Amino acid sequence: MNQCSLSFMLKKYAAPVALSMAALMCVPPSAGAQGTVADQLTGKLVITGSSTLAPLIAEIGKRFESLYPRVRIDVQSGGSSRGVADARQGLADIGMVSRAMKDDERDLSAFPIARDGVCPILHQENPVQALTDEQVIAIYTGKVTNWKEVGGTDAPITVVNKADGRSTLEVFLHYFKLKNVDIKAQVVIGDNEQGVKTVAGNRNAIGYVSIGTAEYDATHGVPIKLLPIGGVSASTESVQKGIFPLSRPLHIVTKTPPVGLAKAFIEYAQSKAVHDLIRQQYFVPLAD
Amino acid sequence: MVKTMARNLDGRELLALALVWSAATLVTATFCWLFGDILWHGLSHISWTFLTAPPRNAGREGGIGPILVSTALILGVCLSVSVPIGVGTAILLAEFTTDASLFGRLTRRSLDVLSGVPSIVFGLFGNAFFCKTLGLGFSILSGGLTLACMVLPILIRSTEEGFRAVPTGYRLSAAALGLSRTTTLVHLLFPAAVPGLLVGLVLGVGRAIAETAALIFTSGYVDRMPESLLDSGRALSIHIFDLSMNVPGGDPNAYASTLVLVVLLLAINGTASWLAERWLHQRIVTV
Repeated sequence: MNQCSLSFMLKKYAAPVALSMAALMCVPPSAGAQGTVADQLTGKLVITGSSTLAPLIAEIGKRFESLYPRVRIDVQSGGSSRGVADARQGLADIGMVSRAMKDDERDLSAFPIARDGVCPILHQENPVQALTDEQVIAIYTGKVTNWKEVGGTDAPITVVNKADGRSTLEVFLHYFKLKNVDIKAQVVIGDNEQGVKTVAGNRNAIGYVSIGTAEYDATHGVPIKLLPIGGVSASTESVQKGIFPLSRPLHIVTKTPPVGLAKAFIEYAQSKAVHDLIRQQYFVPLAD
Repeated sequence: MVKTMARNLDGRELLALALVWSAATLVTATFCWLFGDILWHGLSHISWTFLTAPPRNAGREGGIGPILVSTALILGVCLSVSVPIGVGTAILLAEFTTDASLFGRLTRRSLDVLSGVPSIVFGLFGNAFFCKTLGLGFSILSGGLTLACMVLPILIRSTEEGFRAVPTGYRLSAAALGLSRTTTLVHLLFPAAVPGLLVGLVLGVGRAIAETAALIFTSGYVDRMPESLLDSGRALSIHIFDLSMNVPGGDPNAYASTLVLVVLLLAINGTASWLAERWLHQRIVTV
C-alpha cells in the first residue's frame, strides 16, 4: 500500500521535478545580475483606468518594456471609476486612478506616482482676471449668469462642466464643497483637451481642466488663461511646491499587495527614472 | 424648353430654386472647408516615416505605423466575418422569404432597430460578450467582431435591396430554362446584386473605420505593433480622438492622422465604385 502510493507520487511528481531541474541547469551561469533580472521578468500586465493617466503610463510601460524585453504592458483607457472596478474584479492587474483614494476604496493598494493641479480657465479676451471661491460657486450653481456681475463685460456665462465619473470633476466638487446635481452647466465635456478647446472657442465660457494641459496650451498659442485659486497662481510650479489648493495625486492601484512583475513595474513607475516622462506629459513628479 | 421653364417661374418657384441651390452649395462648401482644413494642417506632417514609424511621446511625435496595421487587421476581421453572414442572410431574406412572412418581417424589423443602435452600446456589448464571456480580452479579434455586429444590419439590408432590384423576369427565365435554384442564384442573381452588396460594403466600412466608441472598450488603446489577432491594437479613429481630446500638443499629428483616415475612406469608396462599374460592364458583355 505504502509502496504503491510512493510509486504513484513518484510518477506524479517526477516529470515536473525533472523539468524544473533541467530549467535550472539551462540558466547560463555567465549571465550577470542585471541580465538575470531582465530574463526573469516575463509576462503581460493589463493596466486600465483614467484617460488622464493613460498616455503617461503607456510611455512608462514602453520604457519598462525596453528594459525587460520579455514583458508586455497593455494600457487601456476609460476613466478612474473603471480603473477601480477593473482592478477590483481582477480584469486588470493594475488600475489607474487620477484622484485621491476614497474611504470605500481602502481595500485596494494605492501607489501615488505624480501630482496634477486643477484650475478654472477662461478665454484669453475675457477681462476677468480672478474669481473668488464664492464667485466660482455662484457661477457654477447658476446664481450668477452674466459676466458683468463679477466684473466682466455684459455677456451671458457659458458654464462648462465635466462628465460624471471624471476625476477633475470630483476634485473640483470636493474643493468647492458642491454636489454635481447643484451645478447648472450649459456644456458637459469629457477629456481635458476637450475642455480647453470648448473654452478657446467661446469667449464667454468658463471651465476647469488639468493645470498641466492648460499650461501647455496657454504657452502654445491657444487663447485661454488660467485663473488663480485663493490668490495662488495656477501653474505646475505651485503644484510642485504643494501650495496650490486644487490638486490631486495620480495613483495606480492593485487589488492585493503587488508581487512579481506588477511590483517591479510599480516600483519603476515610482522611481526617479521616469520623472522626465512625467514632466513630458505635463504632470508634476512627487517630491524626491 | 428653357423658355417655357423661365415663363413658368413665379416667385414661389424662384424661392424654391434658390433654397435648393443654397442647400446644395452649403453641403458642398462644408465638405470643401472641412477637407481643406484637414489638408492645410495635416499635409505638411505626412511623410513615409510618419506612415511607418511607431508613435512616440503619447503620439505627439513619431508616426502611425502600428496603428495603420491594427486598423487594417480590425477591418479585415470585421469584413471576413460580416460579408459571408451578411450575404447569406440577405439571400434568405430576398429569395426565400416573402414580404408577408412572419420570419422575414421579424428579421427585417430587428435589423432596422439594430442599425439605429448607438455604437457605444455595441462597444459595451462587445466588451461584455467578446472580451469577458468569450475571454478574448482586449484584442483586435474582439474589436473586429464587435464591428461586424455593427455593420451587419447595413450590409444585409443593402445587399437584400440589391437582390430585390433584380427583375423577376430573370428568375422566371431561369426557371423556364430549367436551371436549378442554386445555379440561378450563383450565376444570375448574385452578379446582378453585387452593386447592392458594394454599396453596403462602402457604408459599412465607412462606419467601421470611423468608429471610436465601439472600439475603445474592445480592441483597446495599445499602440504597439500587434503580433497576433489576440493582441490589443489601437485603431486610427481612437488615435485621432486621443490625440485631439486627451493629449496636449497632439493636434498636429491628429490632423495628419485624420488626413490619412479621410484619404483611406475616399480610396475605399473609389475602389468600390470602380469595381461596381467594372463588374456591371463585364456582366453585360458576357451575358
